[in-house]
Amino acid sequence: MNIILKAMLAIYNFFVGDLVILIGVSLIMIILALIHFLSTSISLRGASGVILIIGVLATLVATLGREIMRSENRQQA
Amino acid sequence: MQWAIVIAAFLASAVEFVEAFTLVLVARITTNWRSAIVGALAAVATLGVIVGTLGVALVTLIPLDVLRFVIGFLLLLFGLKWLKNAIARYNGLKLLHDEEAIYRARVAEARARGEPVKSGLAPFGVLLSYKGVLLEGLEVAFIVISFGGSGVGGIGTAALGAALAGLLVLGIGVLVQAPLHRIPENTLKFVVGIMLTTFGTFWAGESFGITWPLSDLFLLILAALYLVASGLLISAIKQRQPRMVEASTTLRAAPLSQDKGVRP
Repeated sequence: MNIILKAMLAIYNFFVGDLVILIGVSLIMIILALIHFLSTSISLRGASGVILIIGVLATLVATLGREIMRSENRQQA
Repeated sequence: MQWAIVIAAFLASAVEFVEAFTLVLVARITTNWRSAIVGALAAVATLGVIVGTLGVALVTLIPLDVLRFVIGFLLLLFGLKWLKNAIARYNGLKLLHDEEAIYRARVAEARARGEPVKSGLAPFGVLLSYKGVLLEGLEVAFIVISFGGSGVGGIGTAALGAALAGLLVLGIGVLVQAPLHRIPENTLKFVVGIMLTTFGTFWAGESFGITWPLSDLFLLILAALYLVASGLLISAIKQRQPRMVEASTTLRAAPLSQDKGVRP
C-alpha cells in the first residue's frame, strides 16, 4: 500500500507538483466541456478561446499568489 | 508549426541535458569517463524506447481530438509549472538552480561512499550516470511525446530538436569538462514555459472545436500574450517584494521596541 501511495505521489509530482495548477487547468477544461457540449451555452461558444486564455492566466496568477503567500509566511516565521 | 516544435523541444531538452550533464560529470570524476558515458548512453536508449513505443502508440491508437485534449492538458500542466518556477526564481521566491553547487555536493556525496576509482566499467558510475540522465530526460521524453498532438511527424520533429540539444550540450560539456553553470538556465526555463503553455492552450482549444484566428500563426500571438503577461507579473512581484521585506523587518523589530518601551 505504501509503495502504491509513493508511486502515485511520484507520478503526481512528475506531471503536476502543484495543486493550484491542477485544479485551475481542470476547471478550465470542465468549463470548456460544458460550453462545448451543452446546447444551452451555444452563445458562449464564440468566447471559448478568450475564456481558455483568461483561465490559463488566472491559474498562473493564483499559483504565483500562493508562492508569494508562502514566502511572506516564511519571512514572518 | 514544425519550426516552433523544434525550438520548444530543443530549449526544453537543453535545460534538462545541462542538469543531466552535471550528474554525468559527477560519475566521471568519482569513477571514470567510460562508466559515465555508458550510463548516459544507456539512459538515452531507454528514453528513445519510451518515446518510440509510448509516443507512436498514443498517436496511432487515440483519435486526434482526444489526443489533442490529453496533450493540451498535459502541456498546460508542464508549461504552467515551468513558467511559475521561472517567474518565482526571477523574483527570489525560489532559489536559482546552481549547477556548480549541485556538482560539488554530488561529488562530495559520491566520494563519501568511498568507491575506489577503477579504469574499467564501474557499476556505481554507470548507475549514477544512467539514473541522472534518465530522470532529467523523462520530462523531455513526455514533452516530445506531447508534440505528437500535431501528428506522427510531430514526435520526429520534436525528437530532432531534443537530439540537437543533447549533442550541443554534450559537445560543449566535453570541451569545457566542468558544470555548465554559465548557461542561463532560468531564462531557458522561462521561454520553454511560455512555449509549452502556448502549445497547450492551442491544442486544448482545438480539441473543444475552437478555431483560432490566423490558424497556426495564432501561436505567435498567444506566445506574445503570455510573454507580456509574465513580464507584468514579474515586475508586479518585484514591486511587492521590498514591501514584503520591509513588513517582515518591522514585524521582527516590533517586540524589541515594545520591550524597551518605545512608542511607534
